[in-house]
Amino acid sequence: MPGTIAPPDIELILEDSRGGGGGGERPPDGGDDGDHGDFDRQRRRRPASPRRFSTAMAIAIVSILMFFMALASAFLVLHHSSHVWVAVQLPRILWVNTAVLVGSSFMLERARVRLSLGDDRGFRKLWLVTTVMGFLFVAGQLVAWRQLARQGVFIASNQASSFFYIFTGAHGVHLLGGVVALLFVGVRNFEKSQISRPLAAEITSYYWHFMDGLWIFLFALLYLGK
Amino acid sequence: MVTYDGGANQPGAPRGGFVSRYLLRSDHKIIGLGHLWLALFSVFLGMGMSLVMRIHLVWPGAHILFFSTLADTSERYATLPLLHGSLMIFFVLTAAPQLGFGNYLLPLQIGAREMAFPALNLFSFWGSVISLVGMTAAFLAAPQDGVTIWIISISIFLASALCSAINFSVTAIDMRAKGMTLPRLPLTVWAWLVNAILGMLIFSILLAACAGLLSDRFFDTHFFPAASFLASQPSNIAADPLPALWQRLFWFFAQAEVYVAMLPCFGFVSHLIATFSRKPVWRERLVVLALCAVGLVGFCVWGQHMFSSGLNPFSPLVFSVLAASLGVPAAILVVSWLATLWKARIQLNTSLLFALGFVSLFLSGGISGIFLARHGIASGAVSEDFVAGHFHLVMGVAATFAILAALFFWFPTLFGRRLNESLGRTHFWLTFAGVYCVFMPMHWMGLVSQSAKNAGAKLSFIAAWIGPARSFITAGILVTIFAQGIFLFNFLWTLLRRERVEEGNPWRATTLEWTEASPPPPGEHGNREPAVYRGAYEFGVPGVSDDFIPQHVAPDRVAKAN
Repeated sequence: MPGTIAPPDIELILEDSRGGGGGGERPPDGGDDGDHGDFDRQRRRRPASPRRFSTAMAIAIVSILMFFMALASAFLVLHHSSHVWVAVQLPRILWVNTAVLVGSSFMLERARVRLSLGDDRGFRKLWLVTTVMGFLFVAGQLVAWRQLARQGVFIASNQASSFFYIFTGAHGVHLLGGVVALLFVGVRNFEKSQISRPLAAEITSYYWHFMDGLWIFLFALLYLGK
Repeated sequence: MVTYDGGANQPGAPRGGFVSRYLLRSDHKIIGLGHLWLALFSVFLGMGMSLVMRIHLVWPGAHILFFSTLADTSERYATLPLLHGSLMIFFVLTAAPQLGFGNYLLPLQIGAREMAFPALNLFSFWGSVISLVGMTAAFLAAPQDGVTIWIISISIFLASALCSAINFSVTAIDMRAKGMTLPRLPLTVWAWLVNAILGMLIFSILLAACAGLLSDRFFDTHFFPAASFLASQPSNIAADPLPALWQRLFWFFAQAEVYVAMLPCFGFVSHLIATFSRKPVWRERLVVLALCAVGLVGFCVWGQHMFSSGLNPFSPLVFSVLAASLGVPAAILVVSWLATLWKARIQLNTSLLFALGFVSLFLSGGISGIFLARHGIASGAVSEDFVAGHFHLVMGVAATFAILAALFFWFPTLFGRRLNESLGRTHFWLTFAGVYCVFMPMHWMGLVSQSAKNAGAKLSFIAAWIGPARSFITAGILVTIFAQGIFLFNFLWTLLRRERVEEGNPWRATTLEWTEASPPPPGEHGNREPAVYRGAYEFGVPGVSDDFIPQHVAPDRVAKAN
């Protein structure tokens, strides 16, 4: 029945130039609508559009970006105004961690390609590799913290070290959220859920790549800010 | 009848005990009401604080119940304005128009059955509750612990507000009913949407600043070193710019926060003035653009609060121009309100009175704001009574008037009853006169004390009036608070009386929330989605028998006049 087909979402955005949204479409059943007067034009409720998940992720990413930009501008202001900036010797393992994180983004995309080809086993395997690489990155960051602590550089040592620990800590917490999302998408049964696994994987990939790019930005900031 | 989703998502009548029925319900209506109750509690608590401060100022030795038992230190007094400000800004001005009315009305006005993420909404509501409890507890704790508790509470509030901002934006963007195109959105929804986007940007900034503060307190880092720390450092460390960092981050949030409080109020006032003038909003699209411009420019004017704190010498010019350019969207809004009222058959009830009171306060507060956008004046008058008078008038009181206007207007939707009109009018006129008596002398005192500083003894005879002016202000506060007692009585009495509104649409308004029962049934009511056929302000359409056409009425169903 034509009336039951949900209209494409784009139609909701464009202004309806015909002057009446939906024209004269009648709802499929008029049985118990007579009492409602004008309401007999109302359609059955559609389930909420799954597009809301990607919109929410886009907005959340902007919001998280603002959080880190505020910290980054504080870093630049303090670095610029301080005469006795004691730079942190960045542990070498950070380069390995960066490579692992970039590699995980790459694996995630390959996993999504498998998923779109319908290869469920290949997807699960690559997705698991991505998740493990995420864990490895966090573990590597903790190793970097320990190495610095062994050198006697703690969070309260000086402003540069404070920023190092705050940047890596805040990024690590956000990244752990991403790891949880990876586990969730990999393990969850999507048959009864509001979104499909490919969509969930796509939205998780936005966040994961954002975390990846954010780390590269923060690493570059710390490296060039020496 | 078979519903689309087989009833799986239709909880229908709430089941279970009190906890699951009220405390853990993610129903947007219950959450919206919850925010309004929090705001009502906070506004009376905050008002009590201001009364205590004024009494202390006029009669320093007076014994005040409960406060006399607290330790009598200057830190204790400093926490009083802190708590007054944070309760009023966060839980009244930020929460009531956006989280309270917004949560309740946004889904109804766009024809959605829920917010986009109900569970997230519940989470952010309980975050607000915890934050309110924390802030109030911070007042009673020892000053140092109190500040830590206060910062943690603010961070929790900000995190919840961020979740709400995401929820609001996504709901307004993706959950609209068929036919509810962007140009057909009511202005209230536009205001909530722009506000959510602005909030999403600035709350993260303050959250980052709070993270820095907490790290300073817990891990001994030095992001925002205290003045005592700076004084003890060797002189080769450039110490001066460091406190400016906190000011920068804070004002980045706080200046935009003014617009976060005002934007939904602009939406309410445009909506109410159109409805009670029975005329379409004058230049509706221009008003939408003005709302967006307020959000955009409001985001860029943080530096105007730092004229006195040593910025780059060119930046005051930039920020002055930006701050003054806010006058353009503000002027568009005011002209639209006045032009909508022009030659209209105005229905002057309490709700419209409060909306007009908002316009009046916004104008008088806005005019003093233009003075403050001037670099020279602001650097002299900053932190004086002038500034206190300005921002209370334009932000605090004006926004409260818009909230009250909205409360009188949507009371039938919220509670299925109508507030008493005569009590409402008395409340309005007493409050209106009271706040002008309180805040206008404050402007004057700020200017006089400033010029006295510059001109020396010449103005000493004017300075003799400062004491009486202070007492006059305190008397004005007593009148204003008495008037709020009338409101509280009206509010509670109307709720306790069992006189319900008979008609579904008592104001003959056009938007979708009036197509629901008053109050709308709990749960995800309605398994049918309304279709929208027209803009939100079709009043006085020629050739139509009624003077308004609701948004859901199809073109071929409009009753034609003979």
